[in-house]
Amino acid sequence: MSEPESKNAMKKRLKAEAAAKKKAEKEAAKKAKEAAQPAKAKKHVAGGDEDLDPTQYYSNRVSAIKKIQANGGNPYPHKFHVSHRVPDFITSFASLPDGERDETQTVTVAGRINSVRGQGKLYFYDLKGDGEFIQIMSDLKTYESEDGFAEIHRTLKRGDIIGCTGYPGKSKTGQLSIFPTSMILLSPCLHMLPKKVGDRPAITDQETRYRQRYLDLICNNENRKIFEIRAKVISYIRRFLDTRHFLEVETPSLCLLPGGATAKPFKTYHNDLSQEMFMRIAPELPLKKLIIGGLERVYEIGRNYRNEGIDLTHNPEFTTCEFYQAYADYEDLMNMTEEMVSGMVLQVCGSYKISFSPKPGAPEVEVDFTPPFKRISMISGLEEAMKIKLPSLDDPECDKKLAKILKERELECQPPHTTARLLDELVGEYLEDNIVNPTFITEHPEIMSPLAKYHRSKKFLTERFELFVAGRELCNAYTELNNPSVQRERFLEQAAFNADGDDEAMCLDESFVLALEHGLPPTGGWGLGIDRLTMFLSNKNNIKEVLLFPAMKPNLEEMAILAANKPKEDAVDANAKKYPPCPPTVFKVNGSEEDLGSEHGMKLLSSVLKSSTWISGGQPTAEDAKLFKVVEGMPRECVEFFGEVKGWFYSCAQFSEGVRGNWK
Amino acid sequence: MLLLRALLLTTMLSRAIAFLPAAPRILAPRHLQPVCRLFSTVGELEDKIKVKGDEIRQLKETGLSKSDLAPHITELLSLKSSLEDLNNPPAAAPVEPGQAELRQARIDKFKLIEEGGGRPFDYSWNNNINAEGLKTMFEGKLDSGEDDPEQFKVSIAGRIMARRVFGKLAFFSLQDETGAIQLQFDKKLLNQADADAFKHLKAWTDSGDIIGVTGTVRRTDKGELTINCDTWKMLTKAILPLPDKFHGLTDVNKRYRQRHVDLIVNPDVKATFRARAMITSSIRRQLDERGYLEIETPVLQSTPGGAEAKPFETFHNSLGLDLTLRIATELYLKRLIVGGFHRVYEIGRIFRNEGLSTRHNPEFTSIELYQAYADYNDMMELTEDIVCNIVDQLHGSDAVQYGEDTISFAKPWRRVTMNDIVKEHMGFDFGTLDQDDPASLAVAKKKATEAGVPGVETLKSVGYVLNQCFEELCEAKIVQPTFVTDYPTDVSPLSKPHRSKKHTVERFELFATGRELANSFSELTDPLDQRERFEAQAAKKADGDEEACGVDEEFLTALEQGMPPTGGLGIGIDRLVMLLTNSQSIRDVIAFPLLKPETAA
Repeated sequence: MSEPESKNAMKKRLKAEAAAKKKAEKEAAKKAKEAAQPAKAKKHVAGGDEDLDPTQYYSNRVSAIKKIQANGGNPYPHKFHVSHRVPDFITSFASLPDGERDETQTVTVAGRINSVRGQGKLYFYDLKGDGEFIQIMSDLKTYESEDGFAEIHRTLKRGDIIGCTGYPGKSKTGQLSIFPTSMILLSPCLHMLPKKVGDRPAITDQETRYRQRYLDLICNNENRKIFEIRAKVISYIRRFLDTRHFLEVETPSLCLLPGGATAKPFKTYHNDLSQEMFMRIAPELPLKKLIIGGLERVYEIGRNYRNEGIDLTHNPEFTTCEFYQAYADYEDLMNMTEEMVSGMVLQVCGSYKISFSPKPGAPEVEVDFTPPFKRISMISGLEEAMKIKLPSLDDPECDKKLAKILKERELECQPPHTTARLLDELVGEYLEDNIVNPTFITEHPEIMSPLAKYHRSKKFLTERFELFVAGRELCNAYTELNNPSVQRERFLEQAAFNADGDDEAMCLDESFVLALEHGLPPTGGWGLGIDRLTMFLSNKNNIKEVLLFPAMKPNLEEMAILAANKPKEDAVDANAKKYPPCPPTVFKVNGSEEDLGSEHGMKLLSSVLKSSTWISGGQPTAEDAKLFKVVEGMPRECVEFFGEVKGWFYSCAQFSEGVRGNWK
Repeated sequence: MLLLRALLLTTMLSRAIAFLPAAPRILAPRHLQPVCRLFSTVGELEDKIKVKGDEIRQLKETGLSKSDLAPHITELLSLKSSLEDLNNPPAAAPVEPGQAELRQARIDKFKLIEEGGGRPFDYSWNNNINAEGLKTMFEGKLDSGEDDPEQFKVSIAGRIMARRVFGKLAFFSLQDETGAIQLQFDKKLLNQADADAFKHLKAWTDSGDIIGVTGTVRRTDKGELTINCDTWKMLTKAILPLPDKFHGLTDVNKRYRQRHVDLIVNPDVKATFRARAMITSSIRRQLDERGYLEIETPVLQSTPGGAEAKPFETFHNSLGLDLTLRIATELYLKRLIVGGFHRVYEIGRIFRNEGLSTRHNPEFTSIELYQAYADYNDMMELTEDIVCNIVDQLHGSDAVQYGEDTISFAKPWRRVTMNDIVKEHMGFDFGTLDQDDPASLAVAKKKATEAGVPGVETLKSVGYVLNQCFEELCEAKIVQPTFVTDYPTDVSPLSKPHRSKKHTVERFELFATGRELANSFSELTDPLDQRERFEAQAAKKADGDEEACGVDEEFLTALEQGMPPTGGLGIGIDRLVMLLTNSQSIRDVIAFPLLKPETAA
C-alpha cells in the first residue's frame, strides 16, 4: 500500500489530477455560463423535443415565437424572394455530379421542413415545396456567420416554413441538395406534425383528413395528385369545348323555381326582396334559353346543389359540366362523348385502360376507355338481359305488370310505383350493375325523361343516352325537347307525379315554356359529373376524396364553435318588445277592414307598405294621405313598432298637411 | 320612354362589335367606337342622388326644420324614382294584346306542316359554314350579279329575321350566331328537288322561325352577298313572333327578364357575353401559365368568413344543419396554401344577401388567388399584367372608352397611399396624428366633419375615420386605374401589419371609374395576431354589426400549422367586364340577373 510511487506513476497521477482540476474548472465555468444563459444548456440536437406532449410542444413553440418578437425579430416576414421553385430546382440541377456544388450561382428556395437531422456543425433538412422534396445540407463553413448558424438551427423545427439561400449541389451519396449560406424562418408551425411510420401514411383517420385537409396535404403528399388530376380534367373539357367554338357562360345559382332535374333543392331567403329562393339543382333551363337567344354553342362548368343525404357518391354540392349545341342530336353527342372521354383518359392517365376499385375493399377492375363505346337501347337491352318481353308502355296495366315482374325477381322499389321508378329499378339491376367498360344506355322511355325529345321513329321512347362506367352514371344527354306544347304536357305530367308523392318530379316552369315558344333550334344537350369522372381517373371510390373540403356532419367541437358564433338568441328574446297597447283603429288594408291597434293588423299594414312605391322612391298618393291621418292619431310607439310603417310615417310627416292634401 | 329608346339605340351603336370569322373567334378592336353619352345617365343619376343625400344630411345637422327640408327630400325622391324607372320599368305582360291571335295562327300551321311531310320541330341539321365565315370567304370576290363560279355548296341554319315573298321569288334575312345573311329562293330552282318546296316555304314560314338551307352563293345586282337556295327545311317553328323590328326591344326590364329575346334582337348583347367569356378564359390561361392550380372550395359553409357581408342562410335536411352561402373564398383557399399548394386560384360564385342595384347582384363572380412567398407589391404587378393583357386582347390598345371617360391602362398605374390621397382631397394629413395619443381621435373627427364627411361621430378609431374620409371624398373621384395602398389596420382584419408603418396594413384596392375592382393584401399569417383581429370583429358583431365575422377557430388552427408569407388578390369579374365592355349596369354583364319578382312591381 505504502509502496513509494514510481516516477512514472507520479507523473501520471499529477497529470490526471491536473486534468481533473482542469475539468472541474471547466465544468464550473460551464455551469456559470449555463446559469447565465440557460438556453444554451445542452448541446443542441435537431428534433430533440419531439417526445414532448402536444400541449407542451405547442406552448414551448408559442413562447419561443414570442421571444423572437420581443428581441425585435419577425417570425412572420412579409416576403421571401424565391428564385427556384422546388420542382424547378430539381430540373435545373439534377445533372450536377455527385459530391459537387456549384458555387458560381446563389439560389433561393422555400418550403416546409419535412424532417430534421444533425447536430453541431452539420444539419440536414428535407424541404418540401410544390409537392416535391430536396435536401438542405447546412454546414457551419458555408454559412454566413457562426452565431447565425447556431441560432437558426436552434429555432427551426419540423413543419416550419423556411426560406433558404445557398449553392446548389449534390452530396457525396448523390442526394440533390442546397448548401445554405443563410436560412430564414418564414412561418413557424406551432404544432407537432404527424409522422409517417414505415409505409403507413402519416394521417389515416378519415375525419381528420377531410376536416383538416391542409394537414392531409402536408403529411400525405400523394393526395395532392388527386386535385392535380381534377384540375386537368376540368381544363381538358374547357379546351375541348373552346376549340369547338363553345362559349363558356354563367347562369344563376339562385332561382325562384328549381328546374332542369329532379331533386330536392336547398331553400334560402333574399332579405331585401322578401323572397324565398332555391339553389339550382341543374343549369339546364337557362342554358337552353341562351341557345334560343342565338348563342349556338354554350357550356357551363359549375356547382349544383341537392339537399340530399351524404354517401360515397353524393355530396350536397357538386360540379358538373353541361353543354348545348344547336343543330346537333343525341347521335352527334354520343360521338363527341367518346372522343372527349377517351381522349381525356389517354391524356391524364397515359393509357385508355385504367384500374378502378368500384367499392371500398372491392378488387380492382380494369376499365377500358378505347373508343367506340358499347351502345345498348334501354328497353330492348333489358328484354334481352331478362330474357322476357316487357309490357308495352301504353298498356294501362303497365305499372301492375312491372311491379309483378319486380316481385317475381325479389326486387324492391320505393313507392310510389310509377312506371319510371319501376323501370329504373330493373335497369339498375339488369343493365347498369353489369357494366364495367364505358357503355351508352340509350332511348329511355318518355316518362323517365321529361326534358328529352320524343324519338323520331320509336314510339314512347326518347332520343337520350346515359354513359355508364363501372356501374355508375357519368354522362346524361339528349336531343332536347323543343316543342313547347309537348314540354308543357310533360311538366304537367310530372306535376301529377308530384301530387302522387314523388317529390323528385319536376315542377312547371312557365317562363321556360314561354321561351320555347320563341323557338329553340334542334339542339343536343349534355351533362357530365366532374366529381365522378375525377373519382375514376384517380381510382377513388369515395367522393370525399376528390373534394378538397367535403361536407361533413359537424362534430361536437364544431357544434360548440357554431353555437358560440351564433347571435345570442336569449339576448334577442330579452330585447324582443311587445306590441304596445293601442286603442282599436280600423282601416282598410288590401280591401279588408283591419284593426291597426292590434299587432296583427299593423303587421299586415307593414307588409303592404313594403311594396309601397312611396317608400321605395315613388310618388305618394291620396291613399297615403288618408292613411297618415289615421296613423297620426295612434300612439307613437305603435307606429314605430314596425320598420316599414315607421319609415313610411316619417316620410309622410316631412310634408305639411296642405301638401299632403294635394297628393293624388 | 323616349329617353329609353334613345339610350338603347346609342348602346347598340356604341357596342357594335365585329367578329372575325372562323376559329379562333377573336374580338376586333373596339377603341374606335363612338362615345356613348346618354347611357351614362344611370351613373350620373346615382351620383346626383348621393350628392343630394349628403346635402340633406348636412342640412339636417345644421338643424333645419322639417318643413324646410321637405323640398330637398322631394327632389331626392324624384331622382330615386327616375333611377328606379330606368332600372326597373314596370313589367310588361308576357303576351301583348293581339299576340294571342298571332300565336294561335302559328300553332295552326303545325298541322299544315305535318300534312305536307315536314316537322314543326325537327331533329338536327349539319352546317358547313356560318354567316360571318361566308362573308369572309367571298370578301372582295364576285361582282354584282355574279354567281360563285366554283359553285361552293353552302349548308347553313338560323333564324328568319325578315321575310319578303313575291310571286316566284322570296328573300329572307337569316341570322345565326355570327351575323346575318340574305337568302334568295327562286321557285324554279327550289322546286327541282321537291315540287312543293316553294309553296311550303310561303305557307309554313314566319319571321322568327328557324330553318336550314343549302345552296350556292351569288352577289345580287345591288352587291349583297346572297345564298341562292336549292333546298330548305323547317327546323323549329316559333310560336311567338319577334318584337317589332323597328321598335326593337326597348323595355329594359323585359330585356333582362327575357334574355333570349334580347339576344335575338340586340346583337351587341352577344358581344358582351363573348367578351365576358374571353376575359375569364384569359385570366385562367394567364394564371395556368404562371403555374397556378385552379381549385374549388365549398359554397355551403357552416360559418361564413373572409369578408364583411350578410350571408344567405339555408338548411341541410338530412344533416339537420344550418348553412350559409359563402361570402368569399378567402379562408378555404388560404388553408390550401398552408397545405402546400403554393399558387392556387378559384373563379366562382359569391353570394351576398344585399339589395339590388346597378352595381350589385346577390350572386356575382370573383377570382381569388393566393401566391406563397409573395407580398402585395407582387400582387400589384400581377394585377397590372393580367388586366393589361386582357385589355390588349380585347381592344388592341391600352385605352378603353367607358361612358364619357377614356380609361388608360398604360403601365405603371398610379400607386398612392390612402393617407396621401385623402390629403389631396381633404387638405389634412392624417399622418401628422400620433394615433397612440387618445386625443388624436377627436382631432381626426373634427377635421373630417369640417371637410363635410358624414357619420364619423360614432367611429372608434382614427383608422375608421381615415377610411370614411377616403370613401366619402376620394373613391368616386378616382377615374383612372389607381392602386390605393396601406389601409388602416382596423378596417382590414385579414391583412398583415405594414413592415414599417404603424397602425397600417399591407393592403391595396384597385379603383377605376369610381369603383373598386380588386382587393389585395400581404396575408396575415401570424395566428396570434389573427385571433386578436377576429376577436375585435366578434366584438363588433356583438355590438349589432351583422356584417362582422366571428372567430373562425378552424382557420386559426390551420394558421398555427404555419402559412408561408403569401400575397392574395381578389378581382370582381362582373365589374371588370362592365368596365371593359362599357356596360353601365351589372345587369348588362350577367346573363340572368336577379330582378324583383314581377308581381311585386
